[in-house]
Parts: sequence; structure tokens; C-alpha cells
Amino acid sequence: MSNKVACSHCHLEFDEAVMIKDNNHYFCCNGCQGVFKLLSDEGFDGFYARTQNVKLSPPLEKFEDSSTFDSESFRDAFVKVNSDGFNEIALIIEGIHCSACVWLNEKALHKMDGVIEANINFTNNKATVVWADGVVKLSEIIEMIRSIGYDAFAYDSSIQEVYANKERKSYYLKMAVAIFASMNIMWIAIAQYAGYFTGITQDIKTILNIAEWILATPVLFFSGWVFFRGAYYGLKNRVVNMDLMVATGALLTYIYSIYITVTEYGEAYFDSVSMIITFVLIGKFLEVLSKKNAADTLDIIGKHIPSEIKILLDDTITTCKLENVKVGNIVVVSSGERVLLDGEIVKGQGSFDESNLTGESEPIYKKAGDSVISGTTSIDADIYFRATKDFKHSTLSNLVTLLESAINKKPKIQQMANRLSEHFSSVILGFSFLTFMVWVMLGNGFETSFMIGISVIVIACPCALALATPVATLVGLNLGARRGILFKEAAQIETMAKVDTLVLDKTGTLTVGKPEVIKESSFEEFDKGLLYSLVKLSKHPVASGICRYIESQDETIKEILFDKFSQIPACGIKAQYGGREILGGNLKLLELHGIKVDFISDNTLFYYAVDKKVISIYELSDKIKESAKELILEMQKRDINVVMLTGDNEKSARSVASKVGITELYYEQTPEDKSNFIESLHAQNRSVVMVGDGVNDILALSRADIGIVMGSGSDIAVEIGDVVLLNNSLTSLKDAFKISKITFGLIKQNLFISLVYNAVTIPLAMAGYVIPLVAAISMSLSSLLVVGNSMRIKYKFKQK
Amino acid sequence: MSNWVIAMMLGASVFLGALGLFAFLWAVKSGQFDDEEKFLNAAKFDGEDELNDAYRQEQKKKALKKEYRPE
Repeated sequence: MSNKVACSHCHLEFDEAVMIKDNNHYFCCNGCQGVFKLLSDEGFDGFYARTQNVKLSPPLEKFEDSSTFDSESFRDAFVKVNSDGFNEIALIIEGIHCSACVWLNEKALHKMDGVIEANINFTNNKATVVWADGVVKLSEIIEMIRSIGYDAFAYDSSIQEVYANKERKSYYLKMAVAIFASMNIMWIAIAQYAGYFTGITQDIKTILNIAEWILATPVLFFSGWVFFRGAYYGLKNRVVNMDLMVATGALLTYIYSIYITVTEYGEAYFDSVSMIITFVLIGKFLEVLSKKNAADTLDIIGKHIPSEIKILLDDTITTCKLENVKVGNIVVVSSGERVLLDGEIVKGQGSFDESNLTGESEPIYKKAGDSVISGTTSIDADIYFRATKDFKHSTLSNLVTLLESAINKKPKIQQMANRLSEHFSSVILGFSFLTFMVWVMLGNGFETSFMIGISVIVIACPCALALATPVATLVGLNLGARRGILFKEAAQIETMAKVDTLVLDKTGTLTVGKPEVIKESSFEEFDKGLLYSLVKLSKHPVASGICRYIESQDETIKEILFDKFSQIPACGIKAQYGGREILGGNLKLLELHGIKVDFISDNTLFYYAVDKKVISIYELSDKIKESAKELILEMQKRDINVVMLTGDNEKSARSVASKVGITELYYEQTPEDKSNFIESLHAQNRSVVMVGDGVNDILALSRADIGIVMGSGSDIAVEIGDVVLLNNSLTSLKDAFKISKITFGLIKQNLFISLVYNAVTIPLAMAGYVIPLVAAISMSLSSLLVVGNSMRIKYKFKQK
Repeated sequence: MSNWVIAMMLGASVFLGALGLFAFLWAVKSGQFDDEEKFLNAAKFDGEDELNDAYRQEQKKKALKKEYRPE
């Protein structure tokens, strides 16, 4: 074995022979060497002490021109002027691996003249940069970020996101106050409980009461303000909600306790006030925390649409704002770039990746006269095309608009607990008032009647009811996370349990999504290294499939450098080595070089020829995932309808469907078709889980009640999905159904327990048998019961 | 034990606790916990240099502000 050394900058390990040696350091590429030198010169060595052995990706060497960052259109779209008159921009920094990267970027930016603030968040890689325009240009700032090995692009930090962060922060503050006060009140309450049994002088009792009073006040009016607000809005809309119940219960107990403290008669219950508020507030916070941020999702989509485009004007290529391109303009697209407008090719040819729109993994060859669709990517084509639609009407723009509306329109099965608590609250408040009236009418004093009235509310305190759902879902979420199932919102577990239709995408979901070699037919012995080096040159999925196949057979295989090589669009690769002509590609490539071959197969074929003689033929096909059949059987057992939707052709759709046992399938579906299909299911009152992985599925994913995404799927899909299967396996999908079903069952059980508890204790309280102290203790007991019951989810999951 | 001792002890401990709480609230409000990674790393790595950097940054901001708004 040869000696492997790590690059001094990125820490990736390579053979010593291929590394660049510089003093005592090794580098894997010029980029790494350059960045390392720059960091040492500028005195940023501290970076390496902080990264330790974290592996970085080597810096990119080719960037688009940074001058676009100074252009007028860019400024309009992204740069804001802050209250001090400085410029401010929100950037997403690419290439951040660890906190040391954050440190380095901030330090480097701070060192620049004119940069006033650079604040990078490690968790989401978003940065805010503030600079003085006269002193430094934005392009210089971007250049600086690039020179140290990262890249940055702008995003529109929407108001929505700012608002979500603000709300979360205000909850932190409220919770901190509530928890601090509750903990202190509990200590004081212990003294009071002890005094209740062993005797306590009235003076001490009053002192303790006053201390509790002081502590409970901020909890009720600062932390508990959300409940008062919620109750107010509820009443305004004529709804009696849980907030009203919590607010009145806490407020009445608070007022009653003040009365007790002042008159020095009986027991005060400031501890109940703060405990109710604290517990329910924490429950509410968990909801806020798990709410998916739609703003984030749209940012990620926006990142994929550059705001400028190259067009041909009077024989010169100029950049122009995307929105300003008119129908009839000639647009220039180079290889590797995205097509942003619909149009018709006037010059050039090459392959396009349309998987974004169709899910089809095979690239499609296009030449002059063919139409190009926005949203696709040019693989190897340099073309000029005439725009036939402006941006507003283009396929891509349509997709984004549809998506935005779909995110906002997402159906939600109303949550059972909320509906229940609505009635529950009004009933309890009614009972409490009734009890008070009856006791007064029966000739008891105001004080006694009031106390009994309150004990009804305290004992019915929605704690158990409020905890019934969140605790069970938390246990379910945790269980899922350990098995690689990421539910993004707690409520989704409940929704998923009620689903009756499962819609599956084919490529990447039921199948692996990449062509794999299933058969190799060699006609003579040959050097596998040559073939390996040849397919390594191409990014075509078929070539990658063969590459993986050779690697799996021989791990030590090495690349050979060809004397000459060229890619022939939509055909394959041609290379020269030691005077021999080497060809690898499809049938068209062989015909082009006058080679005849007789070989028939249903699968995709790759031919390898040396000096006009076919040496080996590889058959490739997309493999079906292991537990696909099992999943379908399990779904049928659960009475869930299974449907397959695919953008692929009829033949491959039918062959996959018959292999896994799906009877209902639709093929050649566009993204819009898929989403319309989900809508039509909704029209039949069915709730749908959609499973997919690609950009072509995102519309359907966002329309479905639950969108499940494979972890290996595209960024946007993962962002939009409600549930992510991190290990891409269909067994996880099965587990996800199982977990949601068990969890939902236990939620129902929990609700039942708390209702039974209330049914028993409320009449007792109304009859005056329960003093508020006992009420408060038994309230905690019911909550404990609910929490304990929720823990059973794990055991149940293992049993089944 | 007389009553005022209890009252004083309660008052003093709640006051001290409240001081800690207010410090925490201030830190949350001014965004010091926004990025937990950064906050933990600052505790681990930051030294004199970082403190000086932060100070210089403040100075730079002040100087630029003057330049920018002559009034």
C-alpha cells in the first residue's frame, strides 16, 4: 500500500505521490495551497487549531464573475439600507463545515476596511453583512469570501422569517421567567405544605404567601399574557378555547389567593397559578418550535433562480435582468448552466437534464429547432435559443408560483384534542359558575361558594388534556428519529395515522434511481483500467453506473491518463491511448464510427470498443429497492390504497409496478399532473401520503396531506417534505406508518384517561368534597399518568 | 427565629436569583444565544485577540458612522 497523507488545508487524504509539497505541508490541489498561504500570511492560522481534523471540501477554482454583485438590478433585489445609512445584505455562505469556518469568515470580513458587521449563523449558514458603500464594494467582499475558499450568494431575507425568530425569542423570555418563578414558588410551597400538616403561625404563612404573590405576578401577567391574548381573540371570534380556560382558571385562583393573603384566612394557591401557566406555556412553545418555516423553503428555491441572464444583443453577449427578457430575445446558455426561460434552439446542440421536470434520469439530446424548457439543465450543450415566453409565463416561474400557493394551502386534518378542548372548556366554565350559584343559593357564604367554584376549574385544569397529545407525539417523534424518520411537525404523526391513500413516485423512491449494471458480456480479455478511466470522464448516469460497477469489483483500480479524449454529445466518449482508438457509449456512437453490432436487450446498453472492435457490452437497469414488495403487502393489510405516479414511459412503469404488486398506476405524468391527481383524491375526501424524491415531485408533495421525501432527494424536495426518510429505505416508510398508528392510538387513550379522571373528580369538586389543595395534587397525578402511558409507545413498537 | 429573618432571607435570595434571571433575559434579547455553536466555541477559544478585534470593530463602526453622517 502506498503512503497516504492528509492535505494541510482540507485534511482529505491522498497518495503522497500526487500531493503538492511545500515546505513541510502537503496540498491536494492549487486551491488548497493558495488558501493555506493566504491564511498564514494574513495571520489567520488560528483557523487550523479550530478545525482540528474536520474534513473540508477543497476550494472551487472557477466562479462566475463577481461584478454582477455591484450591478443595479442586484442592488434593487437584495441590498437594504439600514437605520444608520449603511448597506446591509443577507447572504448564504456555501462551504461552511464547522464553527472554525464561521470564525474565519467573520475574521476575514472584519479585517476589511468599510465592513461594519459580519455575523454568520453556523446552524443555517446565513450571514448578515453590513458595509459602508463608499469605502468598500460588495464585489470585493464576495471576492474575499471566495479567496479563503468559500462562496456566497444573496437571498431575500423575508419579513416572515424575521417574525418567526422574534416569536421564538419572546417565548424563550417568557419561559425563562415562568420557570424561574415556578421553581422558587415550589420551594416556598414545600414549607407551606409542611406547615399545613405540622402547624405554622399565621405570621410566617403570610410572609410566605406574600413572597409567592410577588413571584406569581410576572408569571401570570408576563409569561401568561399569550393566554389572555388567545382568549381575547377567541372570544372575539365567538370561540371558547383552551386559552380562555387557562386564563380564567389562573386569574380566578390568583385573585382568590390575594384575597386569602390579605384576610389571613385559609390557604393561598399561588403555586397552582404559576404551575398551570408554566406547563401549558412549555407545551405551546413546543408547537411553535416545530412549526415548519415556509419562508426558509422559498429561500432555497429562490437560490436556484439567478436574477440575471445572458442575452445576445447586436451580436454582443450582455447580461440582463431575468424579468426584462422579452419574447423573441436570443438567450445564451453554456454547458452546466440552467435554462431559465422557455424557447426554441436557433444554434448549437447537446444533452439536457430534464429530471427536474420529468423524473427521467436519461439526458435528452436537443438540436436547432427543438424546444427547451425552463428548469432543465444543460449538460454539455452551448446553445443560443429564442425565448418564446417571458419569465412570468415560463414553466419554471409557473412551478414556483404553484408551489408558493400549495405551501399556503396545505390541508390540515383538524386536531382532535383542540376540538375536544373547545367544548370541554365551555362545559367546565359553565359547571364552575353553576356550582358557585347553587352553593350561594343553598345559603352558604360567598367565600365557601367561591372556593368550591374555583376548585372545579382547578381540578379540571386542562393539564392532562393539554399534555395528552404533545407528550405522546414527542415520544413518537423520538422513536422515529432513531430509525432515520424525521417528522418535521408533531401534528403530522396524527395526520399520518388517518391516511387512506399512499401515492408513490417510481424513480428514486421505489427504485434506486440510478442505472446499475445487471449483466456484463465480454468478448475477450481487456484492461479494465482503460474502461474505468473512460467512464470516469463522463458525468452521464450510465457512465457513473459502470464506474460504480467496476469499483465494486476491484477496489484498487487506478485511473490512466489518455493522450486525447472528446465527448460526443448524446453518444458517448472517444479517447486515444497508446495509438489505439477507444470508444464508449451507445449504439449511435458505434454507427457513427461504422461499427456494426447485433445485440438485443430491453435494458439500456453501453458498448465498449477498442480499434473499431466491440469488446464488451454492459446492460444497465434501475434496480427496485429491497423491501418494496413487503411495503405494498403491509399497506394492503392496513387497507391503504397504493398508487404509483411516474414521469417515465409506460413500459418501464408497468414492469416496476408488476414486480412490486401495484395495480393502480399512472405514467408520463408532468409535475402538474401529479399535483392535480392529489387534488382529485382530495375531492374524493381521501387523505393522501405522497412519497417522492425529485424536483418533479415537489408540487405533489406540498399538495398532499403528508409529503414524505427520501433523504437523498433534491434539496428543495427535502425542504418541502413533511417527513424525511434519512436512510432512503422503504422499511423506514413502513416504520413511519407503524409509529404514527401506535402514537395516535395512545393519544386517544391519553385523552380518554384525562376525560375519565375529570368525569370522576369534577362531580366530587362540585359537591364540595375536594378542597383546592387536594385538587392541585391530584391534578399532577393525572398528568403523570398521561406521561407514563405515553412511554408505552416504545414497547408497543417493539412488540408488533 | 423571628419573622423578619425569614422575610429578609426570602427577599435576599429571590433578589439574587432575579439578578441572574435579568442577566439571562438581557443575553437572550441581545442575541447572544442565537447561534449555540458559536456561543460555545467563543467560550472555548476566544481570548485576548478576539476581545481586541471586537473593540477595534466597534471603533471602526464609530469612525465610519461619523464619516457617513456629517451632521
